Amino acid sequence: MSGAHDHAGGGPAGDLSSRVHRLDPRAKIVGLVAVTLVGVSTPIAAWEVWLACGLVLAAVAAAGRVPARVIWVRARVVLPLVILVAAFIPFFRGGEVVASLGPLDVSREGLEVLGSVAAKATIGTVSAVLLGAITSVPAIIRGLETMRVPRLLTLIAAFMYRYLFVIAEELRRMRSALASRAYRPRTALQAAALGRMASALFLRTFSRGERIYLAMLARGYSGRMPRLDPLRLARADAVFVGLILLTLLPLRVIS
Amino acid sequence: MHIPDGFLDGSVAAAMAVPAVAAVGYGVHRAGRTLDDSKIPLLGVTAAFIFAAQMLNFPVAGGTSGHLMGGALAAVLLGPWLACIVMAVVVAGQAFVFADGGITALGANIFNMGVVGALGVGLTMLLARRILPANRTVFLSVAGAGAWASVMLGALLASAQLGASGTVPFATVLPAMLGVHVLIGIGEAVITVAALSAVLATRPDLIDGAGFGPISTTPLTPAAEVAS
Repeated sequence: MSGAHDHAGGGPAGDLSSRVHRLDPRAKIVGLVAVTLVGVSTPIAAWEVWLACGLVLAAVAAAGRVPARVIWVRARVVLPLVILVAAFIPFFRGGEVVASLGPLDVSREGLEVLGSVAAKATIGTVSAVLLGAITSVPAIIRGLETMRVPRLLTLIAAFMYRYLFVIAEELRRMRSALASRAYRPRTALQAAALGRMASALFLRTFSRGERIYLAMLARGYSGRMPRLDPLRLARADAVFVGLILLTLLPLRVIS
Repeated sequence: MHIPDGFLDGSVAAAMAVPAVAAVGYGVHRAGRTLDDSKIPLLGVTAAFIFAAQMLNFPVAGGTSGHLMGGALAAVLLGPWLACIVMAVVVAGQAFVFADGGITALGANIFNMGVVGALGVGLTMLLARRILPANRTVFLSVAGAGAWASVMLGALLASAQLGASGTVPFATVLPAMLGVHVLIGIGEAVITVAALSAVLATRPDLIDGAGFGPISTTPLTPAAEVAS
């Protein structure tokens, strides 16, 4: 269950000046998390609700001109899990048998659970991918900050995102240095070299953290990040959230 | 082990969010009293380090691979509560930025991969310092055993949550999950011990202190940095 974290990289995609890209980050967080909540909270086989969630997501993607390829590349992290975990389901549920594969019986109820898990995982993943595609990470963090997430957490998240790619690049260089010295581990016990590499990376990271703080002080940091443009909710933001809720909530209630 | 949206039943997801929010909330509250502002960038780059270190894959039997989780390493370097905070930010970042792990399963993921390892290993370390002789071997053994146990416990919890949600049959998935994670846990332990012994050899000052590591104790001042 521990796949590689070969992340395809986040960051905004599509038409960066589109209407949905320009919305307030809080509206986008609330709107897309609402889609996830509605989709995931349904009972089994609520196909009309999932279809509506899919249509809302497609509309958001179309409005932001986010290419389908980007969504596919970023959302497929969830695929191995659905296949690995959910593939168990049809074989181990009791109930009406609809097919047999050798000694294993496939039950209708199992197929329904598989379908609902796959649909919910898709809705949740695509919502998160779209949020990332129409909102920059600093904007998401800032939105969360104004939504009363503790400042310590948002500050750590901001620094994490700022230095993630720097450190990942450093890690990549260290890995190629190891590879060029013919390091090819075959068992988990040979992972010690990775540990020493991790510690070298940690020590470099640690001294980088110390340098960053000194640089911040040198630029006049006094406990708060300066904000040039205050966040303001506009009518478009209310319309965005309102449309999503109006489309999904009635369906969710009657299903 | 990142559980996606839809794999957990609503009540299970909510039940797991409670301990996760409590632990991280207490950590934030505690840090508000004891944490020096100068340490926030350090926590941020440590989170980035753990995020990046999770890309370190090592081979597990049968062509599969595992990767570092980092909870135990964070717990030893930062102490239990700061490690909780950092792991929570890492797991939430993976969910929000990379859609890795569901937003509705965030509580469970933070609990399994962050809180359990951070508090388990961090508190065991504090206890070990009280009752066992303080030397390198004891320190590294506790860290290694803790790293292995944190992976196993995380896998056990994830299986139990998936089982309780009716997504997978618990009795079938548990042996499979634990079987794979026995080996992933060994990788985690080997990396954690190697990393800590290298830190001990080069910067022992980072691990000293009252079990809370460097970040909450020694305040960094510009003058001290210039002098060093």
